[in-house]
Amino acid sequence: MTKLKQIRLIVALIFIIALFTSCNGGTALSSPSSFDTASQVSEDDVFSTGSVYESITESAPESSRETNNATTIDSIPKYNGKRAYIAINDNVPGFTAVELVTDSYERYSPLDKFGRCGIAMSCIGRDIMPTEERGNIGSVKPSGWVTAKYDIVDGKYLYNRCHLIGFQLTGENANERNLITGTRYMNVEGMLPFENMIADYVKETNNHVIYRVTPIFSGNNLVCDGVQMEAISVEDKGDGICFNVFAYNVQPGIKIDYATGKSWLDSDTSTSSTTDENETEYVLNTNSKKIHRPTCSSVKDISSNNKATSGESKQTLINKGYSPCKMCNP
Amino acid sequence: MNIIICLDNNNGLLFNRRRQSRDSVLCERVVALSSESTLWMNEYSASLFSPETVKVDSDFLEKAEKGDYCFIENVDFTPYLDKVERIIIYRWNRAYPSDTVFDDSVLTSRMLIKSTDFAGFSHERITEEIYE
Repeated sequence: MTKLKQIRLIVALIFIIALFTSCNGGTALSSPSSFDTASQVSEDDVFSTGSVYESITESAPESSRETNNATTIDSIPKYNGKRAYIAINDNVPGFTAVELVTDSYERYSPLDKFGRCGIAMSCIGRDIMPTEERGNIGSVKPSGWVTAKYDIVDGKYLYNRCHLIGFQLTGENANERNLITGTRYMNVEGMLPFENMIADYVKETNNHVIYRVTPIFSGNNLVCDGVQMEAISVEDKGDGICFNVFAYNVQPGIKIDYATGKSWLDSDTSTSSTTDENETEYVLNTNSKKIHRPTCSSVKDISSNNKATSGESKQTLINKGYSPCKMCNP
Repeated sequence: MNIIICLDNNNGLLFNRRRQSRDSVLCERVVALSSESTLWMNEYSASLFSPETVKVDSDFLEKAEKGDYCFIENVDFTPYLDKVERIIIYRWNRAYPSDTVFDDSVLTSRMLIKSTDFAGFSHERITEEIYE
């Protein structure tokens, strides 16, 4: 080994140690915990040193995905009906030292022979975040795209054109290499919260986040089983952002043929619950951004200019910035 | 003492032992709110504030006195509920991932006395709710 190579190796090792001693993993996700969980997190172990370094290769490859296979679906616990995502590898992302850069970029894999998206990799910085409203992406038909509508799905449509790297992060519109067929549930409940967290962190700190999204397909399936999302904040060595999760490409109440994208109602889903969901209507105060039951006593005090009704789900309204009334608790 | 916490749309507090979000305007507001008394927090939260504006102690919930403010991120204040005068919640009005959530049953015995929206630095609309 030449002296130059030795120096490079030492520098890479120091960088890896500095980064990953701050990015220890938490426990794998289970059902949402109560505040009691917080009491178990002592100040000392919030960023205690982990053993992650031991799993990092000394000779850092150009890309961790060139040498390490992405997580396989066999290693992911099956969707438990409760959480749209699950932590994997103790939330430690699989980046290598050379990938931890502070120059913003975005890179998308070419479609494979089945027309499927591959890994999307980026360094998110403020300089590549969008400055304009999102454009039309309807021209793209990702692999496995089969239009289907169900009353039990928020917004009716089962599938969304899911950005691998969310629009709010890089401003990509109709890029076929960045759009997959994903359920509404995965898009909104599984992926969006992580995109929000990265976007707001970058806006607030002006730091950079290395972010990789890997769609995971079984065999020749045209619809992915889910996406692996990995991220780490660079300048603060993972203190701000550090996760490695898998978001399930499922839709509660719907069965999907992942080979083709065809779907049907799960026979276990009762008709009554479908009807209940469909008939729920809320009264909105468009000024205070509150959601009320139609029977709430506050409704009569809402000015007609600020009053609206909506048949959308509570979660959809919350995602639009509304919050439930504390009195009627819709 | 008065408790201050920040929550997302699902009452989430933390994910992977890290705060869900932060906002400098919110921090300035917290400092202004507590300017007449002491603002307590632990080491983890102190990185969000100027050192001269806060008092940092790992046992701050024990030491906080009547009228003081305690900024909470990764500790449980429920053992001190008898001491709590007000609970001030800042809602991000965003959905973030969470594996530690706030049990809002502690609010059932309290009244929401004030709710105010304001624009943050990186958040379009943050809601300040004061429960007494």
